Amino acid sequence: MKKITSKILIALTIMLSITACNAQIKNAKTDTIKIYGNCGMCKKAIEKAGNVKKVSLVEWNIDTKMATLTFDTKQTNSAEILKRIALAGYDSDSFLSPDLAYSNLPNCCQYDRTKKTIAKTEAPKMKMDTANQAIQKSSLEIEESNQLNNIFDKYFEVKDALVKTDGALASAKSTALLSAIKAVKMDKLSMDVHLVWMKVLTDLQEDAEHMANTKDASHQREHFIRLSDNIYTLMKVAKYEQSVYYQHCPMANDGKGANWLSKENAIKNPYFGAQMLTCGKTVETIK
Amino acid sequence: MSIKIIIKIKIILFGIALLTSSCLSSKSFQISPGRIVHYELYIKDSLVSFGGKEKRAIAVNGQIPMPTLTFTEGDTAEIVVHNLLNEGTSLHWHGLYLPNKEDGVPFLTQLPIAPNKTMIYRFAIKQSGTHWYHSHSGLQEQLGMYGSLILLKKREDPAFRNGIDDIPQIPVILSEWTNLKPENVHRMLHNASDWFAIKKGTTQSYTEAIKAGHFKTKITNEWKRMLAMDVSDVYYEKLLINGRNESQIKALTPSSPIFKSGEKIRLRISNGGASTYFWLSYAGGKMTVVANDGNDVEPIEVDRLIIGVSETYDVIVSIPAENTAYEFLATSEDRIRSSSLYLGSGVKQLTSPLPKLKYFEGMKMMNGMMNMDGSMDDMGMNMSLQKMDMNVVMYPEITGAIKKKDKAMKAMKMTEDNYKSNELSDIVTLNYAMLKATTSTTLPEASQLKELRFELSGNMNRYTWSMDNKVLSEVDKILIKKGENIRIILYNGSMMRHPMHLHGHDFRILNGQGAFAPLKNVLDIMPMETDTIEFNANLEGDWFFHCHILYHMMAGMNRVFSYENQAVNPYLPNKKWAYKKLQRESNQIHFMASNDFATNGNDGMAMLQNTRWSLSTEWRFGYMNTMGYETETHFGRYLGKMQWFMPFVGFDWRYRQQIGEINFQEHNVFGMLNSKDNRSLFTAGFDATLPMLVVFQAEVFQNGDFRFQLMREDIPISKRIRAGFMINTDKEYMFDLRYIIRKNIGIRTHYDSDMGFGVGINLNY
Repeated sequence: MKKITSKILIALTIMLSITACNAQIKNAKTDTIKIYGNCGMCKKAIEKAGNVKKVSLVEWNIDTKMATLTFDTKQTNSAEILKRIALAGYDSDSFLSPDLAYSNLPNCCQYDRTKKTIAKTEAPKMKMDTANQAIQKSSLEIEESNQLNNIFDKYFEVKDALVKTDGALASAKSTALLSAIKAVKMDKLSMDVHLVWMKVLTDLQEDAEHMANTKDASHQREHFIRLSDNIYTLMKVAKYEQSVYYQHCPMANDGKGANWLSKENAIKNPYFGAQMLTCGKTVETIK
Repeated sequence: MSIKIIIKIKIILFGIALLTSSCLSSKSFQISPGRIVHYELYIKDSLVSFGGKEKRAIAVNGQIPMPTLTFTEGDTAEIVVHNLLNEGTSLHWHGLYLPNKEDGVPFLTQLPIAPNKTMIYRFAIKQSGTHWYHSHSGLQEQLGMYGSLILLKKREDPAFRNGIDDIPQIPVILSEWTNLKPENVHRMLHNASDWFAIKKGTTQSYTEAIKAGHFKTKITNEWKRMLAMDVSDVYYEKLLINGRNESQIKALTPSSPIFKSGEKIRLRISNGGASTYFWLSYAGGKMTVVANDGNDVEPIEVDRLIIGVSETYDVIVSIPAENTAYEFLATSEDRIRSSSLYLGSGVKQLTSPLPKLKYFEGMKMMNGMMNMDGSMDDMGMNMSLQKMDMNVVMYPEITGAIKKKDKAMKAMKMTEDNYKSNELSDIVTLNYAMLKATTSTTLPEASQLKELRFELSGNMNRYTWSMDNKVLSEVDKILIKKGENIRIILYNGSMMRHPMHLHGHDFRILNGQGAFAPLKNVLDIMPMETDTIEFNANLEGDWFFHCHILYHMMAGMNRVFSYENQAVNPYLPNKKWAYKKLQRESNQIHFMASNDFATNGNDGMAMLQNTRWSLSTEWRFGYMNTMGYETETHFGRYLGKMQWFMPFVGFDWRYRQQIGEINFQEHNVFGMLNSKDNRSLFTAGFDATLPMLVVFQAEVFQNGDFRFQLMREDIPISKRIRAGFMINTDKEYMFDLRYIIRKNIGIRTHYDSDMGFGVGINLNY
């Protein structure tokens, strides 16, 4: 008797769980669609963006890049699901993600955007070619200063990102800064620049690395203080192609004050962003 | 079900109709102008399911939006309107210069078109540009009565611009849909219902404030007697572009070739929404603004722009790549909803959606701007022309994502630069100062310059909207003379932005462009802004000047400019009577009621209110004589701009049977004998709203007794939980908690000094 009841119980639970599973999504329809992505993190993000309780369920396969979309046909359709996934940064053959969403993806998830590049490369490629030719033609001297100019340019981009208090962007720009630092061919630097370069290199790398590894703008700002000082030292000897303003905000760095460099005289504070955008003044103009 | 299918088919048909109409527009260049262009419009009740449920709408020729009407400058328009509704209707030609009797404002320029009657509007087309048309009767516009009205330039017109006037063009009309009846929306707004905030997730309750680290912000906000802040009032189920939430246009017409890469398209955009401002952005790069309110402006490239209710903008977009459709995105200002139009064919390139607003930052900003008396303090900043957007503090894409409070910030003074969106980021947002007319717009020399000043006023708590704290029913028409120049200085002293629209004229907005000040017929004015507009009075008649947010207009935020000694309007011979009707329409009486069916009795209230007057009654009915019955009825008038003070007269009636034989009498705190058990007394007193939104009530009864009471209702504890309390000098007190389940239903528990503890269902209307 006991056995029978337990069997009935088991049967009941199984039945219930099955119906529960079925009850998850009514009027279910399944589509299999390719979604671009790379890794396990992508899988998580894609599924999270696509899933809506009792309405849609997405399973993405890392190897095949194919997603199985199961959804309630009365409440949604595959286009709606794919749009949500695209807004999270992942392209499909029906939707291309906004550039911002794509660039905010973790590095490992930044898959190759085939569609987009086919459609758009032509014009920029041409420009790149001419630019390359120009570089080839240019003398060694220009190349030398260009080496550090590239670092300065990247620095200004990091600064602009901090003005906007955009930690993700600042992180991306810091990564670019870091690779610019690493790309410098020291033997091609002139003597005096070389000396300064050797002095600041370790700190520059460390600060850029820290800033690249976090998306927290307040942490980035801590490192930005020393980074700015070192870039300033470097710029004093290496010179930049235009006038640069060395600016100071007395309230930054917990009231101890901090400096930064800007291409324009108007104050746009990278330590506070919009909260106190105009705090500070120009203390030196580097020509 | 079958109806639903029909509607869907209609919508598809509309899509085709839209395309054909744009096809017509491109062909019509060849037809010689000066012709009579005839349209027949059939206005009919219809059912739609835009918001997932089948609801009543009004369709014209079976379409929502109404069909696009296209004319060429110099044509004569002949539009036959057949009213197949059970109510009166009208059509207003927004932004057009036309004889006053054709302007389509019921009780101002004509009588409503009666059910089953026909009216013919006939007027010469004297201008070009993107305009639109809509019903000016009641709240019909919200139900679908809006459509594009495209006036083309003649080829030989010296103002014809190559590359702008001769490229493919698509009429785009924006709108929104609510599943609620518009009348109910209107009523709920006046009753300060927070249902829309619950639906939008913008209750800004104490729990949410604490979680966000903004407890102090919330306290200050309530101390200054403000309700939760928002940038728009109504929750909409769906936003629509050309009547659809998502749609795609691959080619100008079904038979023409699909858009090529590099092709430029002119979007003629009208905001036909009843109360929604839309942010416009595009996935295929910058947009070039070439016209505003039907008037050409020098082309200007922007990343995004906000289009006020009833404004029109012409923008040129391009299709950068082959085999890609680019998203044109319209997002409501509150960023709760959006609508997409894809231009081109192939894979759809999306544009970044606008991130959620940082509401508590907005609340903090409002706290800083608001004085204790409800007026606003601009902190010495000169605001005008949309250049400074206070709401920028809420935009994550400009001012960064939400972060924990920065200690250093507190002491900082806000300056103008903190609000100039274009200087804070790389995103170029259009504002009025950037608009420049293509030709000189200086007014003709006139004998007289008449200067008028208006302060836009209103309060959110009772949803009254007015000019100089007067609604239309409290003012006469403003008389002007033909030929004189009129200059209007507007200051917005209210907490909402208002799109002010003038009928029959374009005005210049003095925006620093000198002789090239742009011409407009709608001026969006943000809180605390001051703007100056001017126009030449050159078209006689009675012209409406009003806020184009439908629910603000219906609340009385209107004026009428009336030309002296004007000819009699054949459609409306009795203007005096008609003006009274018009005044009454925008000061309607709103009803609200609620009752708590609890274990210890019934507890409820009912109220009739208009802009100034209030008739309300409260009751508490026990289930037995020993529990007692009582009602209090008050009739009062709200005073002042913020309406925080209301003197009233009233009548109190109470009955309660005592248990046992001892007739035990109670005294109040002043030692006066209390007639709690048997009372029939007249009373006089006042309600005053104190900081923290506590209502202080003082009253004197006819027998000389008096009573003071403190009460607060609807303290937002969490998203759906509200608390309230009451205490008075009759030693009565009450405390309650309410959980809002749906729009009209809640669960309420309360403790009442007379009736004890109770739990019940709360119904409200």
